[in-house]
Amino acid sequence: MNKKNHLSVKTGFLFALPAVVYMLVFVGYPMIQNFILSVKNVDVYTFADASKQEFVGLKNYLELFDGEDSILLTAISNTLIFTVMSIFFQFFIGFGLALLFNKKFKGSSFFRGVTMISWLLPVTVAGLLFKFMFASKGGIINQLFMSLHLIDAPLEWLLEPKLAMIAIVVANIWIGIPFNMMLLITGLTTIPEEIYESSKLDGASKLQTLFLITIPMIKPAIMSVLTLGFVYTFKVFDLVWVMTKGGPINATELVSTYAYKLSFDQFQFSKGSAAANILFLILFVVGIFYIKLINDEEEVM
Amino acid sequence: MKNEKGNWKYFIIGAIVFVIFIFPLYWMVVTALKTQVEIFQIPTPLWPKDLTFEAFADQMSSSSDTFQGFKNSLIIGCGATIISTILSIPAAYGLARFKFKGRKLLILFFLMTQMLPSTLILTSLYIMFSRMGLLNSYLAPILADATLGIPFSIIILRTYFLSIPKELDEAAKIDGCNSITSFTKIMLPIAKPGVVVAAVFSFVYAWGDLIYGITFITDPTKRPITSSIYNYVQQYQTLWNATMAFGIIAIMPVVLIFIFMQKYIVSGLTNGAVKA
Repeated sequence: MNKKNHLSVKTGFLFALPAVVYMLVFVGYPMIQNFILSVKNVDVYTFADASKQEFVGLKNYLELFDGEDSILLTAISNTLIFTVMSIFFQFFIGFGLALLFNKKFKGSSFFRGVTMISWLLPVTVAGLLFKFMFASKGGIINQLFMSLHLIDAPLEWLLEPKLAMIAIVVANIWIGIPFNMMLLITGLTTIPEEIYESSKLDGASKLQTLFLITIPMIKPAIMSVLTLGFVYTFKVFDLVWVMTKGGPINATELVSTYAYKLSFDQFQFSKGSAAANILFLILFVVGIFYIKLINDEEEVM
Repeated sequence: MKNEKGNWKYFIIGAIVFVIFIFPLYWMVVTALKTQVEIFQIPTPLWPKDLTFEAFADQMSSSSDTFQGFKNSLIIGCGATIISTILSIPAAYGLARFKFKGRKLLILFFLMTQMLPSTLILTSLYIMFSRMGLLNSYLAPILADATLGIPFSIIILRTYFLSIPKELDEAAKIDGCNSITSFTKIMLPIAKPGVVVAAVFSFVYAWGDLIYGITFITDPTKRPITSSIYNYVQQYQTLWNATMAFGIIAIMPVVLIFIFMQKYIVSGLTNGAVKA
C-alpha cells in the first residue's frame, strides 16, 4: 500500500513536471528577474553594460509615486475608473442577456451564439474597429448622435480626455459582455426548474423570484464573474494601446500601458518593471480572493 | 396560446440585441466594401452605393504585408498551440488522476499564472530573448504565447479527466495497462473533445496577441498579423476601407473556428472559468 502510494505520488508529479518546468522558465523566472530589475537602475545607458547596473533599493517605486514626471497615480485611478465602469455595464447587460437567453424561444440559441463572437475576436482588430466608429470624421457614432439631434457638431471622441475614456470603456464592454453572459447562463442552468414552479405556486412576483431565488442561487457564478472580470479588465493593454495609446494627455493611460511605455518607449527598464510589479500586486490581492472563493464553493481540489 | 405570445416578445428583444451586437461587425464589412469618398460622406450610406472590392484586392496583392502577416501568425499560432497542448495534456491528467503532495499548490500556481498581466514578464522576457538571440525570430512570440495557453488548457483538460469515471482506470489496470499506457490508450481518446477545446483556445490566444508580437519582432517580414495591422494603421491613418479589409482577413481564422466549433468553445469558456 505504502509503496503503491509512493509510486502514484511520483507518477502524478512526473506527468505535471514538463508543464511546470516550462511555466517556471518562461513565467516564474521572468517574474523574479522583473523584481530584481525593479530594484536596479537599468535604462538605455546601463542596459548593455552590466558593470554600471547597481542596486538602488526602492528608488524606482518611490519615484513612481513621488516623481514630478511620474503619472502612476493618474494611471492607477484611470485603470480603476476603466475597470469599474466596464464591469458595471458588462455585468448588468450580461446578466440581462443571460436571463433573456436562458429562456427557450425561437432563435434563442442562435442569437446567443452570435453575440459570443465579440469575445473571440483579436482585441487589436476590435480596437481598430471602435477607433473607426468613434472617429470624428466618418465615424458612425457621431453620425448617429447627430441624426438623433443629440449633438450639433461632430464630437472629437478620441481627442477629448473624458470622451476618450468613454470610448475605450464602450469598446471594452462590447468585448466583455459575452464572457459575463455565458458564465451567468451556466449559473442559471444549475437552478432546478421545480424551484421556479413552486415559487410561482406560492404567488411570488417576477421581481421577488429574481431577488429571492435567482440571484442568491447563482451567487457563486456572480462572484466569479465579478472577480475574474476585475482581473481581466485591470490588465487590459491591447485595446487601449490600439485606440488611444494612453492619450489624450494621459487621460486613458492605464498602469499596463504606462509600464509598457516606460520600458519600451523611454527604455527605463527598471522603472517599467516597478510599474508592472505594482500592477501585479493589485491583481494578486484580487486573484487570492478569487481563488479562495472557488475553493470555498466547491471542493474540487 | 399565451406561451406563444410570450415567445414572440422574447424573439423581438433577442433580435434587437442581436442587431446591436452584430452592428460593429456589419460596419466593418460595409466599410471595407466602400470607396474612401463614401466613407467620409455626410451622412455616410449604411450600404455602399458604389460597392467595390478594391480594398480587399489591395490587401490580397503580393506587394502588401497582409498575406505575410497571416502566414507569420499561422506559424506562431500553430507553434504555441503545439507546445501548449503537448505540455498541458499530461499535466492535466496528472493533476486530475493522482493524489500527491503539492498537487493543490500546483493547481493554484496554474490558476494564478492565468491572471498575470503580460507586462509583468515582458521586460524580462525581452532581455532573456535578446541574450539568446531570439528577437526577430518566430520562436520568441511562440514561447511567450504558449504561456497564455498552458494554464487555461490545463484547467479545462483537468475537468475533462475528472469527469471520466475512475473505474475505467482500474479496468485498464486489471487488463495490464500501466499508468502510461492507460493514459495513452484509454484516457486520451476519451478526452479528445477537451483536447480540441484546449488547442483551439491556445491558438485563439496566440492569434490575438499583440504585446509580445510588437515587442519581440520589429522585422516587418516576420510580424504577426495583429502587429502588422497595428503598424498599417500608424502609417495609413484614415484609409479605413483598407484597414477594415485587413481586419476582416485578420479575424477570418477566428470566425471560422467560431462557426465550426461554437459548441466546444462555449463549454470550454464556462468550464475553464467557473469550475477551475
